[in-house]
Amino acid sequence: MRNAARSILLMALILGASFGAMIALQHWFDIQAVAPMTFVLAVFLVSLVTSGYAWGIAASLVSVLAVNFAFTFPYFQLNFSLPENMLSGVVMLFVAVMTSALTTRLKKQQRMRAESEAETMRANLLRAVSHDLRTPLTAIYGSCSTIVENYDSLDKGQQLQLLRQVCADASWLNRMVENLLSITRVSGSGIALDKTPTVLEELVDAVLVSFKAHFPGQTVTVEIPEAFITIPMDPMLIQQVLVNLLENAVRHAVGMTRLTLRVTVQGARAVFEVIDNGCGLPAGGADSLLRGESGRTAVDSRRSGMGIGLSVCSTIVRAHGGQLSALPTPGGGATFRFWLDLEEEAHG
Amino acid sequence: MGNNRFKLLIVEDEAGIASFLEALLKANGYQVLTACSCSAGLSLFASHMPDLVILDLGLPDRDGADFIRTVRRESAAPIVVLSARSTEPDKVQALDAGANDYITKPFGNAELLARVRAALRAARQGEAQAGPGARFCAGGLAIDYERRLVSVDGREVKLTQTEYNIVCFLSLHAGRVMTYAAIARAIWGGTDAGSTKKLQVNMANIRKKFGVRPGGNPYIRNELGVGYRMADGDGGAKNAAGNKED
Repeated sequence: MRNAARSILLMALILGASFGAMIALQHWFDIQAVAPMTFVLAVFLVSLVTSGYAWGIAASLVSVLAVNFAFTFPYFQLNFSLPENMLSGVVMLFVAVMTSALTTRLKKQQRMRAESEAETMRANLLRAVSHDLRTPLTAIYGSCSTIVENYDSLDKGQQLQLLRQVCADASWLNRMVENLLSITRVSGSGIALDKTPTVLEELVDAVLVSFKAHFPGQTVTVEIPEAFITIPMDPMLIQQVLVNLLENAVRHAVGMTRLTLRVTVQGARAVFEVIDNGCGLPAGGADSLLRGESGRTAVDSRRSGMGIGLSVCSTIVRAHGGQLSALPTPGGGATFRFWLDLEEEAHG
Repeated sequence: MGNNRFKLLIVEDEAGIASFLEALLKANGYQVLTACSCSAGLSLFASHMPDLVILDLGLPDRDGADFIRTVRRESAAPIVVLSARSTEPDKVQALDAGANDYITKPFGNAELLARVRAALRAARQGEAQAGPGARFCAGGLAIDYERRLVSVDGREVKLTQTEYNIVCFLSLHAGRVMTYAAIARAIWGGTDAGSTKKLQVNMANIRKKFGVRPGGNPYIRNELGVGYRMADGDGGAKNAAGNKED
């Protein structure tokens, strides 16, 4: 409905402008020669900016009538007996149909390209996932079969050790799957995020509680504003982003001695930063890390999951209308930064 | 342990989860019944009258909230809901329908056992009976209901009327999550567009007065998007009714 109104408006605007221009210029030019050309251009423009065939054809019919009525002899009356008038009408119709056909095809091609890009991204992700999931699954399967097949020959201590490893691997797998579920949630077409005003302090508290459960030994320095701040967001997803970023630092920032979670208010935005002073970002790799294209997961430790973790973060932040970036920390290390709007956009 | 063990009903369609829950709960001294669908669960409930129900929200045959409402018509037995993460509306809906608590998959065994204990204890002593002389203690937090005094680590905390009411309400339901709406109803008698915000502001002040920092609040847990949960009490007077548990 909005689309139709927009098309009508554009058509009226273009045709009106052409008509006005011809009226204004008719004293200086041979209007009989210029008018049909101008209206062909107008029809072309209308076909270009609207979708489908209908508007272009409508514009060409209006143009034929306008040219015939106002700008060809006899002036200000309709006359279809002159073959020139008929011919210019046919030309305009032809231009309208051809342009519409071309623009429709162009739009379809653009859509297909966007789809294939999304497809490539999905394939990359799938590859990273399959690799990252296979390793712990193999370990779990191996440990369990070892216990089942050698139940009597393994002593209690050995069994317990194997089972502990199974627990650790399964818990890691679980978190990875949560990440994947979040991706399907935010990148599913047309699903609006369920944003609720979330108290920053409570979010940070929940993040730290969840992080400490997995990494009890790692201290995190917290720097957040004193004031009471609420930010519209899907709190579980943003919590996941922050936990992922902290976890990422613990796993990858070799030599880190200080891990900081800092939130500042800059204008109408809350800026979140996870700052470490470890080994820094791989040379030139920051962007590909965020896109989930990284092929280095295999080289890293087997628990890396970095490709998935970061591209999940990036996807979630983008779904919130924000942006995740990776930059070097002054003095060494890596900083992952993203922002969220403090106010919900007006239309919701 | 004899015959006076608590009887729990597990309603869960995933055989793997049901069997490990059964093993875990039996190992901890509970009697366990299992059902793999809502209808089977309802008929087991009617014939055995369990002390507590653990209900998975994603059952194939019926909506979980529907199950809760049906049970609530005839029984006040506590219901602990198992739900997947990132479905806050489902949790709130289940709590509003009459569930007593929820636990998010994947959960730790210790967490599950703690929730079960808290729900059983609350049900047995008929909560909200803060009689004269009653006290609540959880770690360094102490509440003297009679004198309306709250202290943290022995230091008295000066709360406003509203703040005290919130802390008091949460402590009477310690160990269980209270939704924003439930707290607002209890404190202000109703909910409106601004009541969650009002509650959050009060909560921020309470945290400030308690002197806790993000990540270091042992007394009140944030359940993002759902509500708040006060740490389980240390027992003391409360445990008198809980002997069946030990």
